[in-house]
Amino acid sequence: MRTRTKLVLISLLAVLALVAAACGGDETTDTSGAGTTATTQPGGAATGGTVRIGWGGAPADLNPGNGVLAEDYVLYELIYDTPISIDLDGNFIPELATDWTVSDDGLTWTLTLRDDAVFHDGTPVTSEDVKYSIEIFRDYEDWGGFLGAYAYYFTAVEAPDPTTVVMTTDEPLGAFEAQMVFMYIVPKHIWDPAGDPVAFTNDEMIGSGSFKLAELRQGEFVRLEKNADYWGGAPLIDEAVFQTYENADARVQALINGDADMITEFPNTAIATLNTAADVKVVQGAPLAPELRDIFFNVVEPDNCPTDDGVCSGHPALRDVQVRRALAHGVDKPQLIDVGLLGLGDPGLGLVPTGLPQFFAEGLVAQDYAFDLAEGNALLDAAGYVDTDGDGIRECPDGVECGPTGDLTLRLNYPTDIDEAPRLAELLKGWWGDLGVAVEITGLDPDTLTSVCCPTFDYDVIIWGWGSDPDPGFLLSVLTCDEVPTGTSETGYCNAEYDELFAEQAVATDPAARRDIIIEMQRIALEDVPYIIPYYQQATQAYRTDRFTGWQDSASKVALEDPTSLNVIRPVG
Amino acid sequence: MSRGKLLLRKFAWALVTVMVVVTFNFFLFRVLPGDPAKAGVKDPRITPQQVAALQERFGLDKPVFLNLEEGPWYDSQYFRYFGALAQGDLGTSYSFKNRTVAELLSRSIVNTVWLVLPAQLLAIMAGVALGLLAAWKRGTKIDVSALTFGLFTWSLPTFFLGIILLFVGSRYLGFPIGGRVTVGGAPLSAWSQAGDVLGHLFLPTLTFTLVLLGEYLLIMRSSVVEVFSEDYILTAKAKGLSTIEIIRRHGLRNAMLPIVTLIALNLGFTVSGAIQVETVFSWPGLGKLTVDAVSQRDYPLLQGAFLLLAVSVIAANLIAELIYLRLDPRVTEV
Amino acid sequence: MSAWARLRRNRLFWIGAGMLGSAILVATLASVIAPYDPYAQVRVTVSDIYVGPSGTHLLGTDDAGKDVLSGLIYGARVSLLVGFTAALISLFIGGVIGIIAGYRGGRTGNLLMRFTDFFLVIPDLALQIVIVAIVGQSLRNIILVIGALGWTTTARLVRAQTLTVRERKFVQRAKAIGAGDLHVLIHHVFPQVVPLMLANTVLVISLAILSESTLAFIGLGDPTVISWGQMLNFAFTRGAVSAGAWWALMPPGLAIVWVVLGTTLLGNAAEEVLNPRMTRHHLEPEAPLPPPDASTAAGPVPDTVLAIRDLRVGFEADGGELMAIDRVSFDVRPGESLGLVGESGCGKTTAMLGSLRLLPPGGHIVSGAVWHDGRDLARLDSGELRDLRWDSLSVVFQGAMNALNPVQRVGAQITEAIQLHKPETDDAAARGQARRLLELVGMSPDWADQYPHQFSGGMRQRAMIALALACNPSVVVADEPTTALDVMIQAQVMDLLVRLREEFGMALVLITHDLGVVAETCDRVVVMYGGVVAEQGTVAEVFSDPLHPYTRLLLQAFPDIDDPDRALVSIPGAPPRLDDLPTGCRFAPRCPQAFERCGQERPADYQVGDGRRVSCFLVEEMSRV
Repeated sequence: MRTRTKLVLISLLAVLALVAAACGGDETTDTSGAGTTATTQPGGAATGGTVRIGWGGAPADLNPGNGVLAEDYVLYELIYDTPISIDLDGNFIPELATDWTVSDDGLTWTLTLRDDAVFHDGTPVTSEDVKYSIEIFRDYEDWGGFLGAYAYYFTAVEAPDPTTVVMTTDEPLGAFEAQMVFMYIVPKHIWDPAGDPVAFTNDEMIGSGSFKLAELRQGEFVRLEKNADYWGGAPLIDEAVFQTYENADARVQALINGDADMITEFPNTAIATLNTAADVKVVQGAPLAPELRDIFFNVVEPDNCPTDDGVCSGHPALRDVQVRRALAHGVDKPQLIDVGLLGLGDPGLGLVPTGLPQFFAEGLVAQDYAFDLAEGNALLDAAGYVDTDGDGIRECPDGVECGPTGDLTLRLNYPTDIDEAPRLAELLKGWWGDLGVAVEITGLDPDTLTSVCCPTFDYDVIIWGWGSDPDPGFLLSVLTCDEVPTGTSETGYCNAEYDELFAEQAVATDPAARRDIIIEMQRIALEDVPYIIPYYQQATQAYRTDRFTGWQDSASKVALEDPTSLNVIRPVG
Repeated sequence: MSRGKLLLRKFAWALVTVMVVVTFNFFLFRVLPGDPAKAGVKDPRITPQQVAALQERFGLDKPVFLNLEEGPWYDSQYFRYFGALAQGDLGTSYSFKNRTVAELLSRSIVNTVWLVLPAQLLAIMAGVALGLLAAWKRGTKIDVSALTFGLFTWSLPTFFLGIILLFVGSRYLGFPIGGRVTVGGAPLSAWSQAGDVLGHLFLPTLTFTLVLLGEYLLIMRSSVVEVFSEDYILTAKAKGLSTIEIIRRHGLRNAMLPIVTLIALNLGFTVSGAIQVETVFSWPGLGKLTVDAVSQRDYPLLQGAFLLLAVSVIAANLIAELIYLRLDPRVTEV
Repeated sequence: MSAWARLRRNRLFWIGAGMLGSAILVATLASVIAPYDPYAQVRVTVSDIYVGPSGTHLLGTDDAGKDVLSGLIYGARVSLLVGFTAALISLFIGGVIGIIAGYRGGRTGNLLMRFTDFFLVIPDLALQIVIVAIVGQSLRNIILVIGALGWTTTARLVRAQTLTVRERKFVQRAKAIGAGDLHVLIHHVFPQVVPLMLANTVLVISLAILSESTLAFIGLGDPTVISWGQMLNFAFTRGAVSAGAWWALMPPGLAIVWVVLGTTLLGNAAEEVLNPRMTRHHLEPEAPLPPPDASTAAGPVPDTVLAIRDLRVGFEADGGELMAIDRVSFDVRPGESLGLVGESGCGKTTAMLGSLRLLPPGGHIVSGAVWHDGRDLARLDSGELRDLRWDSLSVVFQGAMNALNPVQRVGAQITEAIQLHKPETDDAAARGQARRLLELVGMSPDWADQYPHQFSGGMRQRAMIALALACNPSVVVADEPTTALDVMIQAQVMDLLVRLREEFGMALVLITHDLGVVAETCDRVVVMYGGVVAEQGTVAEVFSDPLHPYTRLLLQAFPDIDDPDRALVSIPGAPPRLDDLPTGCRFAPRCPQAFERCGQERPADYQVGDGRRVSCFLVEEMSRV
């Protein structure tokens, strides 16, 4: 009896496996049906095929207004169009808008749209859709994502005819194009009847981009198929599949094995292995969205502590700029790059990364704080912090209330989702220890870290990072007084001179003048050093050379998952 | 007390435990640092108005436990949650903004079950067989080898075994790297699809099987030796039954009793045990979902996941007790 | 042998101790044996990262360019520290809760157990993850979290032990004389409970070490402290695998396995030694059969249904073999009732079970023969023996508490015997026979459908008798059939046996220490002492005129209903230990009539009459040897 029961169970299992596999349902309409093998055009190169891309995360939200993950944005870029786009060299180029002009007073912008753009369901893209999109992103307050910040400026949007959009602002807008780059245009005729756009799940993701959504399995893969009617010309491949490999090593192995044709990210330690693998090419360079790593201090003044949520428990020594400069001398940036990134990064300077060459303060590099422990020690001595009890930690001078220990013991936090952060923290602890500063390291998950950071200001030093927009406006705002109570200011830094300059650049319409203002702002920030920027990360991607060709690997930015590559790659042979 | 009454009492107790667990879960996640009112919003540019709107949308503006302000006393987060629960509504996920928790959980639990169930079955069969063999041949090389094998697999950290198997398997044996299915390419026949899924299942299932195997082996061995030293085995021997017959008719049923309980308990726990395997093999199951939900502070999802885990354990416990009641006629009070 | 001595002999114990001990040693001597200090600040370049094993770095370097071997050595400290400390906390909590729950019992106990069950229900790892997220990833917190969640098995175990101990007589006595609870706990409960917790302790330690490594691997460890789990976390998240840096992955993982396995082996060995249940069992392969000897050559004995000739049965003991019975010979005649008497440990049960090859594991027939139906049972092929079993030779075991399968209905156990030896019997017929047998022993036949635990002691014994008769055997061996029963039932059962023997005509071998029963019900008697036969003959002969000094003293020790005022005399001294047997006559040390020869030579079985034999020098002249 017992053996028989076991046999029954096994056969049941086998049958169920078949059933489950066959019932591999999808969450959206499975519109694909075409074969995905490559075909050769008569007289030309091969087209068709399915490119399989491995990445580490997965898109969480199909609604562009709510998405926050990098993976969400990759999808939006492929499925939707924006009025203006940005190429890999950082130049603004037309997309849905063929032309744009501004009135003399700088308050009215007019977009001319192309007339051949069509949504995936066949409906033409008109100015009504543009108006609708900007308005919903502007008006609804509970969006989960970032688009509200871009639509915010446009107080009125009109669509006088199907290919014209007129937008009005209250003040001159220096960075108009930068706001348009993320303005994904959604089909009004689908979104409007759905009611609340924030709650709209957008499972079908009808857009006008070069790819359409075919199938999505949450956390597993996304399958896109080409939009044959794309106004810019159909892509040369049939499908693009993004498959999730959370485990980085698995991702690398997938590329080497041939399970993936391209991987969007991998640990730098795998470069050696990938370089020696057959038919694999590694691409290094600047990331599409520049990234920086930062180390920042809690410098909020007690009388500027936010009334609602502020705890403001920062170590008082950090409010002394000499102390901060001394600590800055205790940071060996090349070493951090070597250990943290295996050398794949550029030394940092200020909040504006090298990836924004128009605004990067090249001329200030020489003024940056070199790794010089002797200098750091001297500065601390001069500031009055001396080790009186011989325990290797400097005590605070009279008049500076340094808590129960009365010495320079700093809390250092980092978010646990940055893989190299523990190693960086370790190194800092060692160097600053040589400066007579004790460091207590605690890793916190991102949410907890947010809750101690800002606007609570319940920390001393934090290692974190930022991703930059094409326009430095937002990052610069992080050091303004206004943002201290909102939680956007991480340091609590407040400098009237800086704020004046910030207001000026926001309305400056002359690019050169704006640039000068921004450089000056960075100089102030460098002198006051609320932030130490160790590095700007480089991007590393890799692809198989034996399957698809045409990858845009020589551009100044590395983004093989961007339409710039996916629209033009074709099968090999 | 009668069997019927005993059953009822056990069932009632299980229900009470579930409610206690639900309450415990509810408050546990409120204790976590991090601002629940931010409802999982990552953008630091969020304005206070946006926060307020979000709070209202998720019902986070209400008092947590008792409403002593305006409105009825039961208009609080806690009772609202219970009310929704009674209707089968587990809420909406914070990180997957427009998906319900029930949706996310049901998909992931199916994936976990596909991983866990075969592994459990294999582990039980192999563990019971090897344990029986080891106990029967007690003291011989077979026993020592089986015992050592069982102890060894028991001592292996699950994730470590997974990593080793993943890379030996994928590098040298051509197994897939992770995930549940191979995507892209021409549509496959049902057979091929089944084969594909099984191919992806193989390594994680093997890992899990080996990890579970040791425990079953050890417990079975211990139970069998105990049973085989009982007097009724001697009676059976005196009757003239052959050893195989004695094992089959008298030994096994008695020896399996503790195993049955163990199986049911393990089944209840395997969901949480699958966390490690799912992480290493990128298997989209409930364990991985739970871990992600913790780091995302996705309360509704976390509460739902914990509820599911707890309910499955409680249910498994209940089933174990019921099966035991059925199998062992001596039991009137467990 | 003491538990410690047995533990010492267990090979797995030493292997486990060695593994764990080496890890502890490494951890203690870390600063001395590690080639580098992994906590020291070292300037590295990209080329120092994930370098393979070399002369300067025996196990290569990790993702920060540091020496893996040194990390491994220092990591032992943390992994072991966390494991042991967390385990200690778990054991303490579990112990306290378990003892309170077990000792108090009642409401409190129940509530505590519910509380424990509740903790068991919460998913362990998930809860650990959540709590560490709450309290922060420091080493101290991790220890506390693991400790605070790992106590449930200990609590259950301790409670069970405490409950058992609480009911024990010595505890009740202590309380009766007014000992306070705390005193009882410390002096009586603890010493009984603690040793049995050894295996559980080891289990808790193993689990704690595994927990730490898992938490660290997931990324919830304290990254400022080097532990094996943390090394694995760094390696895994910082791409060791795709870099091919197996040296960053394998050593810490194997180190964890080493320590956990060692601890588990230790625990396993302790479990085997301390837990008396882990002994040998009845289904072990039978020892090799004895080679042919003089008794075999002598051939079968006529007019007997069982003839035991010079039987020697040995048991495995440390370093050798102990002879439980040494050249025992007696006959069982067809249809007779034979009493086999002697003190506990004299070998009477061994003699009968040995004859039937039903000895406990470790025992075997050394030499001699057992003749039945023209065949020597001691050397019979096992298949043939199995056919004979129950069909010709059945047993009613001592203490029928567990002699019946508790999960099988009694009737089914009887029909099994019937159909085994008469396979042509169909189910209905067999069932009918079983019911009739139960009626025969004085029970309603409906009891056939009940389970053994539903029977009272006396009824179970009767069911065993019914079972023994199922195949109408020629010999039934009843081993102390009334020992566990109260006096009234004893009489009933004995009456039953007598009646059945008359009805069925089988031979009954009654093993007992109760001379009164033998006198009343048996035809012949065999008196055993110290593993040999002292005297045998008819009951009338032996009881009215005992020739062996031991028999005489035995009879004097028994009350005589005809002479109620006669003083009872107990026999001074104690029976000989099997590992310390006297040379010469076994009884000599206690014999009031012993002389010099008794201590030098073992007396033979002198034949004094027909079937009357005495093993004593005093009767040498009387005998015709």
